[in-house]
Amino acid sequence: MDSFKGQEGIQMLLTAEQEAQHIVLSARNLRTQRLKQAKEEAEREASQYKSHMEDEYQKSLLESSGSSGSNVKRLDEETEDKINNLKQSASKVSNEVVDMLLKHVTNIKV
Amino acid sequence: MNDSDVSKQIDQMVRFIHQEAEEKANEISVSAEEEFNIEKLQLLEAEKKKIKQEYERKEKQVEIRKKIEYSMQLNASRIKVLQAQDDVVNSMKDAASKELLVLSSNDTLYRNLLKDLIVQSLLRLKEPAVLLRCREDDLHVVEEVLDSAAQEYADKENVYLPEIIVDNNVFLPPAPTSDQNVHDLHCSGGVVLASRDGKIVFENTLDARLDVLFRSKLPEIRKQLFGQVAA
Repeated sequence: MDSFKGQEGIQMLLTAEQEAQHIVLSARNLRTQRLKQAKEEAEREASQYKSHMEDEYQKSLLESSGSSGSNVKRLDEETEDKINNLKQSASKVSNEVVDMLLKHVTNIKV
Repeated sequence: MNDSDVSKQIDQMVRFIHQEAEEKANEISVSAEEEFNIEKLQLLEAEKKKIKQEYERKEKQVEIRKKIEYSMQLNASRIKVLQAQDDVVNSMKDAASKELLVLSSNDTLYRNLLKDLIVQSLLRLKEPAVLLRCREDDLHVVEEVLDSAAQEYADKENVYLPEIIVDNNVFLPPAPTSDQNVHDLHCSGGVVLASRDGKIVFENTLDARLDVLFRSKLPEIRKQLFGQVAA
């Protein structure tokens, strides 16, 4: 009789031990999974960050091409103005200059 | 020990085993969370840093490209302005060139001009014998003033009358006509003298005079025109 009861007892302990191992193992598995999740989530957030940076970059590209276009236009206008001023001041003195040249050509120092 | 004591003890032991297991599982779970956070943060920060650097580099390249483009534009427009300056100045020379033709149309003026040109050429060459070449149309006038020119030279330099041989075969090219290509050879007037052996040549044509004069007056002209304009 005693030995039978003893067997029962030992059986219960063994079962408990097994269950305990199972519990610890599950916790360990969860831990591994959690670390994997860490990697996945980090990657996901990193690529979100990247696409955000890409958008900002594209935006700045558009802005800069716009401003450089207007710079070029401004430069061209300034150049046109300079050239026009040139032509105007030239036509003002042109006759003077031509007369001066002719005078010197015909002024022969002997 | 009786049965109930034994089973009580066994129950206690079972509970204990379970308790320990739960506690252990808990520990694992808590440290797992900590590790999760640390790992995720580290990975994320490293990646973000890399990405940030990459985009900073890209932006810098864009900046540099912009600067280069702008500098190129600036150069191009500077060249445009310089070219315009050149054009303006040259067109003045062309205008003067055209006016030269008027000179030879006034007979008295041109006659005196030719004489003075010959005298000046003689003074420059200082040769006892010279060759003279002129336009075919001017031949007559040249022959008319030749003697007085030679005399004037001889008086000024206190030398003997020079021998002036007028070339009757080869003439200077004729005056340009309006429909002629401006690059064709032409002569607006004046003379070319040379030493007898042809080694020393003195071009005293109106065109040559204008060329020389224009070159020497160019800085002055440019200053007058573009003094205020930044080069």
